[in-house]
Amino acid sequence: MVRKVQPLRAQDKLVYLLALVPYLMDHDRVSVAEAAAHFGVPEQQIRDAVRLIAVSGIPGETATYQDSDLFDIAWDDFEENDQIVLTHMVAIDDSPRFSAREASALIVGLQYLSGLPEHADRAAIASLMSKLSRGASAQPTAMAVEASELDETLSLMRESVAAGTQIEFDYRNSRGESERRHIDPLRVESVDTDWYVRGWCHSREDVRTFRVDRISQPAMTSDAITHTAGDVNLPETLFDTSPEDIEVTIEVVESAIALLGDYVAKDAQLVPTSDRVRTTVRVPHFHGLKRLIAGLPGVVTVVAPSEAREAVARWTRAGAHRYTELP
Amino acid sequence: MPLPKVPNEERLFSLVLALLSSEAGLTKSEILSTVQGYRQRFVHSGDNANLERQFERDKDDVRELGVPLETIESPEQAGNNHNLRYRIPRADYELPEDISFSAEESTLLGLAAMVWREGSLSEESRRAMVKLRSLGIATAEPVLSYAPQLRVRDQSFEPLRSALDKRVVVSFDYLKPGDQTSSQRTVAPLALVQHQGRWHLYAKDPATDLFKTFLLRRIVSPIRASKKTFEESTIDAATRALAELEAVWMSNVAVLNVEPGTDAATRLSKRRGARTSATAALELHFTDLNIFADELASFGPEVVVVSPPTLRTAVIERLTRTAADHG
Repeated sequence: MVRKVQPLRAQDKLVYLLALVPYLMDHDRVSVAEAAAHFGVPEQQIRDAVRLIAVSGIPGETATYQDSDLFDIAWDDFEENDQIVLTHMVAIDDSPRFSAREASALIVGLQYLSGLPEHADRAAIASLMSKLSRGASAQPTAMAVEASELDETLSLMRESVAAGTQIEFDYRNSRGESERRHIDPLRVESVDTDWYVRGWCHSREDVRTFRVDRISQPAMTSDAITHTAGDVNLPETLFDTSPEDIEVTIEVVESAIALLGDYVAKDAQLVPTSDRVRTTVRVPHFHGLKRLIAGLPGVVTVVAPSEAREAVARWTRAGAHRYTELP
Repeated sequence: MPLPKVPNEERLFSLVLALLSSEAGLTKSEILSTVQGYRQRFVHSGDNANLERQFERDKDDVRELGVPLETIESPEQAGNNHNLRYRIPRADYELPEDISFSAEESTLLGLAAMVWREGSLSEESRRAMVKLRSLGIATAEPVLSYAPQLRVRDQSFEPLRSALDKRVVVSFDYLKPGDQTSSQRTVAPLALVQHQGRWHLYAKDPATDLFKTFLLRRIVSPIRASKKTFEESTIDAATRALAELEAVWMSNVAVLNVEPGTDAATRLSKRRGARTSATAALELHFTDLNIFADELASFGPEVVVVSPPTLRTAVIERLTRTAADHG
């Protein structure tokens, strides 16, 4: 997954400096390339940090930053061979502790992963959490999540991804139609409690995202996959968009925009109306839309096109009607 | 001639180094007049108000990273702000000697960090990983074909997390499930937990000493943090909150008639704890009646609620409302 490289803020640079010093202390000699690979950052970032460390230090007894109060490096090795050798050290002896928030972010991440079979060793996870807790400079923030659940379908998907084999299953789309699909499974993803499988769909000859809870009768095959994650471009968002998508204008209560999730594009315009906000969502057809809108009663209304409004009206009327036909 | 500006990270780094190496601590005027990045801007026997404000911001920035920057009052001159001393106690700054991580643990923490893909939790996880790399452990690249993730879409989440860390009483307007109008609540926040994909606040009402659970989605105003702090709780609030939510979920059972061969039939039958009764009806647990009613309404005519009657009424109301909004 390609993460966007964002410019570092001073605070982040400080973390790198405080982390890099003990690492360099533990290595008598390390190349810029090796340090960059270890921290997963561009080489230039390491060079800049080393340059800054080499001229930094403490005010010292004279309060004037004398040479003996500063870090120093073997400059020739650095300038000519791109090698880092610390020759003088001040102030720092060890790695910094985690902040309470950093520790809690990792602890919650571990709780979420602890439901997966490969992390089923409760004792190991608990020991790791307690180390994070003890390694924090304050009591980690009180947060917890349920462990993610793994059903049979998901286990099978993960097995296929790991084995690099195709998988087939019945998939019921939002139209309610069920169809047997053959895919090269490439990535299994979750958002909170919802799971998705992304892969190359042989029936559609394109990359598709499947909700795991819409899959039934899955079966592993012995056929090797024909497309790898490197061959195809798996978009970051879970939604498969296409130029043929229909633009739908909606009015939504401002505080409820978050509930629409990825349906609202990041660059979508938000125009305030009297008590709501008008914006657009793009959908391949109205079957998903009508379910989305019916699940957000009172907070979202479709404005246009009229076919979309009618689709929502028909869907909810049919739903309400079910209650009048029963005893 | 103006002096070249010292970069922000150099000033912050120098501040940490100076305070780490001074056991007795430094006064504010010592810091401003001698530490790199401040001393260049310090005016002797002049007005340093801007620089003092800079120092206040820097202290916050440094503390946010988990660096324990302490204030000590001189015992002879309690209450005199000019004689406050600042220091970073080494033992509280450094990761304890006995805490180490194996390569497997480090890889698992890398996966845990990737669970957060956006917002400040993602930034904090990344910083924690930088600190972890400081220890020099070789970490295997996380497997990208498997990407579980947690999301936080509630606007109140971050302000509540800050309030948790600072242990301050907060107030907010809450739209209680089933109510038409919101009411103001004032509580001591104890934990943030995610149950069934939704974030909840576990808190104590200072007036009654009763524990309460709030759904973040139903907090309809900004979080107003007070200056009133409260004692650290001795209970494991996060674990207790999850257990209480689980008990509520267990005790609520809905009986549904689901149209076979529909999206609802495929998806609802896969829910955790789903059971098919003797009459072929589907029995499901739920936590919040109103939120479950929203979900069921999205299935339109594919689901009919048999019981409880309150849920049945709630779904009918929702379907009728949406139909009317789009009529």
